[in-house]
Amino acid sequence: MTSPLIQVSGLKRHYEMGGTLVRALDGVDLEIAAHTFTVVMGPSGSGKSSLLYLLGGLDRPTAGEITVNGERLDQMDENALALFRRKTMGFIFQSFNLVASMSALENVAFPMQFAGVPPSQRNEKSKTLLGQVGLADRSHHKPSELSGGQQQRVAVARALVNDPMLIFADEPTGNLDSQSGVTVMQMLSDLHKSGRTVLVVTHDPRMTRFATNKIFLLDGKVVSEAEYQSATLEPLLGNVGG
Amino acid sequence: MKFSDLIRLVINNLNRRKARVGLTAIGVVIGTGAVVILVSLAIGLQMNANEQLYGIGDLSQIYVMPAYGGEMFIAGPGMGGGGGGGGGEVDQDIKLLTNDAVQELRSIPGVTAAIPRDYMYAMTFITYRKLQGYSGVYGVGTNDLADFGYEAQQGTTALTRSTVVIGYMVAQNFMDPNLRPGQEIPPPPDLYDQQIQMTLLKYDDQGNEIRKNYSLRVAGILAESGSEADFSMYLPLELVKSMNEWSSGTRINYNKTGYNEVIVRVENADKTLEVRDQIIAMGFQANTMLDFVQGINNFYSILQVVLGGVGAIALLVAAIGIANTMAMSILERTREIGLMKAVGATNRDVLSLFLGEAAGIGFIGGLGGALVGWLLGQMLNVVAVVYLAQQAASQGGIPPSVAVYTPLWLPIFVLAFSTFIGMLSGLYPALRAANMIPVMALKYE
Ligand SMILES: Nc1ncnc2c1ncn2[C@@H]1O[C@H](COP(=O)(O)OP(=O)(O)OP(=O)(O)O)[C@@H](O)[C@H]1O
Ligand SMILES: [Mg+2]
Repeated sequence: MTSPLIQVSGLKRHYEMGGTLVRALDGVDLEIAAHTFTVVMGPSGSGKSSLLYLLGGLDRPTAGEITVNGERLDQMDENALALFRRKTMGFIFQSFNLVASMSALENVAFPMQFAGVPPSQRNEKSKTLLGQVGLADRSHHKPSELSGGQQQRVAVARALVNDPMLIFADEPTGNLDSQSGVTVMQMLSDLHKSGRTVLVVTHDPRMTRFATNKIFLLDGKVVSEAEYQSATLEPLLGNVGG
Repeated sequence: MKFSDLIRLVINNLNRRKARVGLTAIGVVIGTGAVVILVSLAIGLQMNANEQLYGIGDLSQIYVMPAYGGEMFIAGPGMGGGGGGGGGEVDQDIKLLTNDAVQELRSIPGVTAAIPRDYMYAMTFITYRKLQGYSGVYGVGTNDLADFGYEAQQGTTALTRSTVVIGYMVAQNFMDPNLRPGQEIPPPPDLYDQQIQMTLLKYDDQGNEIRKNYSLRVAGILAESGSEADFSMYLPLELVKSMNEWSSGTRINYNKTGYNEVIVRVENADKTLEVRDQIIAMGFQANTMLDFVQGINNFYSILQVVLGGVGAIALLVAAIGIANTMAMSILERTREIGLMKAVGATNRDVLSLFLGEAAGIGFIGGLGGALVGWLLGQMLNVVAVVYLAQQAASQGGIPPSVAVYTPLWLPIFVLAFSTFIGMLSGLYPALRAANMIPVMALKYE
């Protein structure tokens, strides 16, 4: 067996808020193999986003170890993390996070500036990727001139621009109508099929259809599907019963 | 991140907030414009002053006198009467300007000449035909005024016992004493190669007037120097000595009384101050016009700094504006910063970008300010020079050629400075942006 792409042990993320301690993640151990499509599920506030940002090296853990592709993220300095993100990770956010003043093409090309890719190559690659997400004819539109679904497709293209092995998505369909949502899910699934490792945080049960792997979070801890089902269904059943 | 990409990104980012960048830059334009115009004004004033001062005395000349009890003598017409070539009582401790002393002065490295000079203090009428002249009369211990660096405009600089060499303006001081008020003043006479009469007067014990006449041919007229020489007549020292002896009725022995004054010439003005200090160390009093000119230059240097400082205050206000604009912009673009970090921008990339934007505002403002300051200076020049020339025409004097002068280094310096100031003002906001935790920036609302 090869070692998994992502390995987490004893991961904690606590927040100090006005004197009270919020345990967003409280002792998480997990492994994610390469070339999987992992869906992270859990109720609001269970720590899903916290987990995703820690795995993506965008936040620092309170305690625990995070190993990605053999490297310890929790021990890297800011600069090393930035370089690591640049070459191994692509991010997709619920609220798209496109730069409003840039065209779709410029938004897709944006990350390559920091990687020092020459302009002609940037242009070429961005066009190809925009074509792949079906927006070839929208490359000069500003985000405000695109629908939500189109904006999220631009974001998907942007996430792919540095050829990352890992794609992180935090509720990528959360702001989309169901049809656009399905399109984006389909795209993520295609990325998985093309050999990338995909990790998606979502509330959308339809996403599980594409998943090869599911992680359930409850109050900052990983639980089994059975525990999760009973914990999330019981109050509902209780309501029904009462 | 490549530098070219950084610049492109900076330009794009500034471009997308034109109004705000423009308004902030106007502050910088005012600050840098003020610096340019005020410093230009100070430089213009200095040039003007130097123009007027130029030739006030050859800057490579040192006027050496015995160190009379701390009394300061400024070289020039009107002095000289004091010491008196035949003056008897001289303080024993004072080092005299004897021939040995003159020899000593000549041996200082860098000195090209040390020439005694004495003032003719006899009561004198100078006449040319019906005209009466007024002029200081010097005796110099050389037979050629070229030793002082003087040049002849007409004739020669060489001196003989029967000729006189006169300054450029001397002819203008010859006037008809019988001229009635209101009558038109005739043009000054052309004295070159003419005989002028120098009549010395003294009184005997009974109060009877005794006259002695010297007839001298004007062998040369000196070129204009802007110095005392323009108003002076030059004779050989021996002749002036005998005139003074006749007038005072005593014999003068320079080796016992010392010369009143020795003029030391230095090979170039760079050495003037050094040689002057050496002469003072020898126990003499030594003055040079360089001190005066340097004092004036120091004054204008201070004026430049002061006026520049006034402009710099305006620039400081502008710097606060830049800092404010950058802080606002970073607040508004927090999520963008988070995104940049998520897609692999390093802290340094983010820092460079925001520093670049702040420097860009400083640069744009500096460009505008340098241009506006220069243009205003040119406009002021046209107006002021015309006005000052009118003043000069009505009151006499040299009309100024400039009022405001902007040397090339000034706008270049101001541009670099305002860019630097911009960068400095952006430093704190940019550092804050660079050190944001990515996830916090991404979640910022
Ligand atoms: N910056 C923060 N400061 C304080 N508390 C925080 C911060 N970020 C998250 N939390 C808390 O940590 C817990 C987990 O937050 P997280 O965003 O990971 O939840 P989530 O599972 O993504 O929820 P949702 O589905 O609503 O997005 C929550 O209780 C939240 O209030
Ligand atoms: Mg979340």
